[in-house]
Parts: sequence; structure tokens; C-alpha cells
Amino acid sequence: MKAPNQKPFMAGHKYLPYLSLSLIVGLWLVARFNPPQTAIAASRGVAGHVSDEQGEPVGDAELRLYVNESREPVAETRSQPDGTYLLVLGEEEAVSSVYIEVERPHFQTYTWSPSREELVTLLEQGSFVTHDIVLERRIVASFWVVMLIFVGMLAIIASERLHNTLAALLAMVLIFGFSLVGGTFFPDLFVFSFEQALEYIDFEVIFLLLGMMIVIGVIEETGIFQWTAYQAYRLSHGRVWLLVIILMSITTVASALLDNVTTMLLITPIILEIALALKINPLSLVLPALLAANAGGLATLIGTPVNVMIGSYAGLSFNDFAVNQTPGVVMAMVGLMIFIQLYFWKEYHTASAGPSPALMKRLEENGRIRDMAKLRKGGIVFIGLLILFVVGERFNLSPAISAIAGAVAILLWVRPDIRQMMGVVDWTTLVFFISLFIVIGAVQEVGLLALISEWLGRIVGTSLIGALLLIVWVAAILSGVIDNVPFAAAMLPVVQFLTRTIPGAQNYALYYGLAIGADLGGNSSLIGSSANLVVAGITERAGYKISFRRFLQVGLPATLVTTAIGCLWLIIHFL
Amino acid sequence: MGKILCATRGGEASFRTQDAAIARAKETGNELVFLYIYDMEFLAYAKYTLRSDVVSEELDRMADFLMTMAVERAEKEGVQARYVIRHGDFYKELASAVKEGPTSLVILGRPAEEESRFEVEHLQELARSLEKETGVPFCILPE
Repeated sequence: MKAPNQKPFMAGHKYLPYLSLSLIVGLWLVARFNPPQTAIAASRGVAGHVSDEQGEPVGDAELRLYVNESREPVAETRSQPDGTYLLVLGEEEAVSSVYIEVERPHFQTYTWSPSREELVTLLEQGSFVTHDIVLERRIVASFWVVMLIFVGMLAIIASERLHNTLAALLAMVLIFGFSLVGGTFFPDLFVFSFEQALEYIDFEVIFLLLGMMIVIGVIEETGIFQWTAYQAYRLSHGRVWLLVIILMSITTVASALLDNVTTMLLITPIILEIALALKINPLSLVLPALLAANAGGLATLIGTPVNVMIGSYAGLSFNDFAVNQTPGVVMAMVGLMIFIQLYFWKEYHTASAGPSPALMKRLEENGRIRDMAKLRKGGIVFIGLLILFVVGERFNLSPAISAIAGAVAILLWVRPDIRQMMGVVDWTTLVFFISLFIVIGAVQEVGLLALISEWLGRIVGTSLIGALLLIVWVAAILSGVIDNVPFAAAMLPVVQFLTRTIPGAQNYALYYGLAIGADLGGNSSLIGSSANLVVAGITERAGYKISFRRFLQVGLPATLVTTAIGCLWLIIHFL
Repeated sequence: MGKILCATRGGEASFRTQDAAIARAKETGNELVFLYIYDMEFLAYAKYTLRSDVVSEELDRMADFLMTMAVERAEKEGVQARYVIRHGDFYKELASAVKEGPTSLVILGRPAEEESRFEVEHLQELARSLEKETGVPFCILPE
């Protein structure tokens, strides 16, 4: 009898690993999907959702369940980041009355008792009662402190008293100081804990910027920007009106795919040389290229830090930007090119004969590709990266992961000095973003952004066009005078509220409006964008100063033209 | 025989200074050296850190081009000229260039209100101080 018994056992032994694996997977599946429902079905309690007056979920609210007028809670929990909560009432309790207390810093304490019918359901039928809780905001000392710190940070950045990273770090440290140290003595000063603050950091933005910095760091050494500018000069055969169109197209595309400051930094010297070779004022070529570079970044998800933030916050992909924003930017660029042709008409039609052979030789040398092998490899990786941005979302690859993958690929293939490449990563910017996210998180936490949302909501009512025009133009005007990154970061929760509450705004039109205003507004004044100041620094060193007034004369009308076209596009496309 | 040092940026506003230096070189038979000095302080305006090595390379090329133009201008007048490009603080680099060789005259353009980043008073003060230190005469062109 043993032998027949052993055979099946031996046969079973052979399949033991598979059976074990199946068992583990099966148990995991059961544990993963079933137990909570089973537990809930066998228990009594209250479940629901906690939100604020704007309908935004409120996470981390402390909920306590009391029974029979007791002072000791029988159940406690914290609401999840999506606002949901679950309070389980033990089976053994003999219950005659129930109430829930909800506490959360910056909100009024909320108390709820079930109605008679709800209590009957809860006690007799042994099931859960669903109750959604809306918490009312409470303006306390921390609100004013955080508001002052935030406004102070913006003022310091705008006045350039401190570097923007230092200003954001200072604001962050002050908020932690008031919140954690001050909050120990005066609870009303508490804003958030360190762990809660970290949740506000958008690592999607940080990693996307990090990856793109490495990719750009390799490409900028190749001389591709200078080469394209020189080719534009050759192709135009001395026709300046055509040359400026090609140059504007180059800086638009380069900024959309890389970065406007790097593009202008590398292309400005050779544009200046081309203008001198043609014996025209260099500013008539440099300024159009600069305006196009600032506007071009708007076209893609990776074009500007503002777009990166908007994309991550609203969950917009590279393709979303390509479909909903790029055509508008193309329209705006056509408008900008027509404006530029009219503005510099006289200048473009007074160009004289070409340069001397010696200058021509210099120009040719300066417009050469510096490192063909690096360009070839870098170019292939970059094209691969663009493809990954387009198709990556089908494989759950966020833009940040794609960018990091591109950076690793370029480092592996091109094999630049890794230490030098880590030096290329702009840690100052990354620290700025981390600090900024925490500061904006504090502003959001104390309810300042909720108040602004409510106020804006009252102004625009249910009009999507009204909201769109307001966001675009306010963003454009403010971006001309203050740093558009903190402004856009602060506006994101406001835009989210308006997107949810205004009928028809669920197509994300307002997010694109914020990008248009914040990005194009940088063209309105010399201090509106880093690229403007960097280019002004270069031209000044060649004896061509771009004064504030000089820039305003061309930049302001250009901003009006492009922003108006951008608005028109959004209205045609979304409404 | 010394050299005439002409500090110039190369733009249209500098042409008058270059022409004056060329005329003086022709008159005296001295060697003419165009001096181009640049710093990269403007990179501090950028919100984001930039590759100063790559930027410096591009500015060098731009300086080469601008100074080639200046040399061509001199050659048209029959004056042989060369140029020197230096990086750093303008005042320190100018002082260092003056001290380096047998300089007979330094010519500087008077900063225009709108176009220049230099202040007239600073330039005059520097000229006086360097004249005293090196004995080399400075000429700041009148408006």
C-alpha cells in the first residue's frame, strides 16, 4: 500500500514549488482584495469622506468615535490623503449613543451624531453608516505668519536681494521654525509636521528636471546651436527677413525641446556676429530670437519648468501638451514673426554687402560642430527620449522616468566625465524647487489658497471664458515682474479648484491658460525671464546694451500679440 | 617705441574710440593693441546655474570676431594692429595689461549714458590712479 501511496506523494513533491508559489500568490490575492470587505461586513461603524468647503479632500484629519457619552474614544483613525476614513465600532459594545469628533489644524473642530434612523441602522443591522464631513476653515496665527513669509519670499526674489534658492530656503526654514518650535508653545502657529511637509514635494518635477539637465549638459557641448544659426545665415543668402524667420524657428524648437536659457546663451554670440557681418544692429536679430525662445518653451511639457510643474500637478502628458498647446504656440509664433517683420522692417532692408573674407572665416569656424561623435550619440539618445516621452505613458513611464532613462543612456553611451556631468546638474535649482514646494504646501495648508480660490470663483462665477481670460492675463502681467515659477506653483491649487467647479472646465483649459500666461508673460519686460537678462549681459559685452526701456518697446507688444493669439487658440480649441 | 592700448567692446559705440586710437597710432607709428576684457557676472542673473566653461568659450569666439573687425578697421587705414582678450574684472585686467608691457598711451572711450555699463567717474578715477602708478598717460575721449 505504501508504494502506491508514495507515488502520488513523489509526483506531488515534483510540483511542490509550483504549488507553493500558487498558494502564496493565491493568499496574496485573497489578502490583497478580500479581507477589508469581510472585516467591514462583520463590523459596525462609520465610513465616509472628509473635505473642505471647496470640496478638496482633507487628509490627516484626526477622527474619534465616542459611545454612550464616554470621554474616552472607542475608535480613532486619520483620514487618508484622498479624504476617506473608516471608524470601526467593536462588536462587544452595548451602545446607546454615538458621536464622532473630527480635528485638523487650520479647521474648525467638527462633531457629528447620527440621526435616529442612522443609529438604528448602525446598532441593529450591524452595518456601516456613510457620512461625508465638510470641515470649515479656521484662520489662525499660522495663516498670517505663512502669508507674510510667502509674500516676503516673492518680494525678495523680485527685488533680487537674495538668490531665489536662498530666498525659498529661508522661507522654508522660517515656516518650520514657526510651525515646529512656535507651535510647541502656541498651537495656533503650527502649520505642518516635517513628514507632512515632505508630502508636498513633487518628485516628478525634480526627477524630470534632473534628467533633462544631464541630457542638455551633453548636447550643449556639441556646437549644434551655433551650427544651426550659421546654416540659417547661409540659407538666407543675405535676406535678413528670411534669416530672422529661420533663427526664430530654431530658437523656438530648441527651447521647446531643451531649455531657453541654454539655447540663447549659446546662440546669441553667433547671432551677434552674423548681424555684424551683415552690418545691421545685432539687437534686431537677437531680440526676435530671444522672444521666440521664451515663447517656444510653452509648446511642450518639457519646455519650461512651469510646464513641467503643471503637467505633473494636473497629470497632463507630453502628448496632451502636443495636442492641446503646440498648435496654439505655432499660431502665436506666426503672429510674433509678422509683428517682428513689421517692427524691424527698416532695419532688415538696410543690410549691406557681406563680411570680409577674414570675418567670414571666423564666422564659419564659430558655426562648426564641435564634437561630431558626441552629437551623433547624443542626438540618437535625444530622439529616443522624445519617442519615449510620446509612447512612455502606454507603459506607465512617467516623463520623469523617461528623462532619467535618457540621462542614464547618454551617460552610458557618450561616457563623459561623470563628475563633470554631476556638476552640470543644477542642484541650486533642484533645491529651489524642493523648498518652494514646501513653502507652497504651507500656503495651501493654512488655507490661503482656498481663500484665493473662493474669491476668484466668486469673480468669474460659472463663466469658463471669464476664468480663462482672467488666469491668462493675470499670469502674463505678474510673470513680467515676478518669478513665474513660484507664482505658477501657488496658482496650481487655485486652478484645480476652478477646473472642478466651473462647468466645462474639466478639459484642463485653465491649466493650459496658466501655462500660456506664465510663460509668455516673461517676454513683457527685461526682468521677466532669466534668458532676457543673460542675453542682455552678452550683448552688453559686445557694446550693445539692452536697456529696460529698449526691451519693453519690443517685448510688451510682442507679449500682447502672442498672449492674445494663445487665448484665441484656447477658446477655439476648448470652448 | 611703445604701444597704444585701446580698450574696446567692438560695438558701434566703440568705433569712435577705435578710430581715435588708429589715428594716434598712424601719427606716432606706435604699435596698436586692441584690448577686450569681459567678465561673466551676468550669469548670476540666470535663475539656474549655467556651464561657465561653455559660455566662456562662446564669449571668446565672439570677442575674436569683434576684435578681428577692429583690426580690419585699422588695416584699412594702413595701421598694423593686434588684439588681446582678457577675462575678469575690467578695472583689474586693464591695470594688469597696462603694467605688462611698454605702453605709451591708453585710450578709453567715454561711457555713453545709455549704451555702456561703466560709469564715467569710476573710469576717470581708475585712469588717474593708473597714470600715477605706471606713469602711462590715459586718454578718455571727450563726448
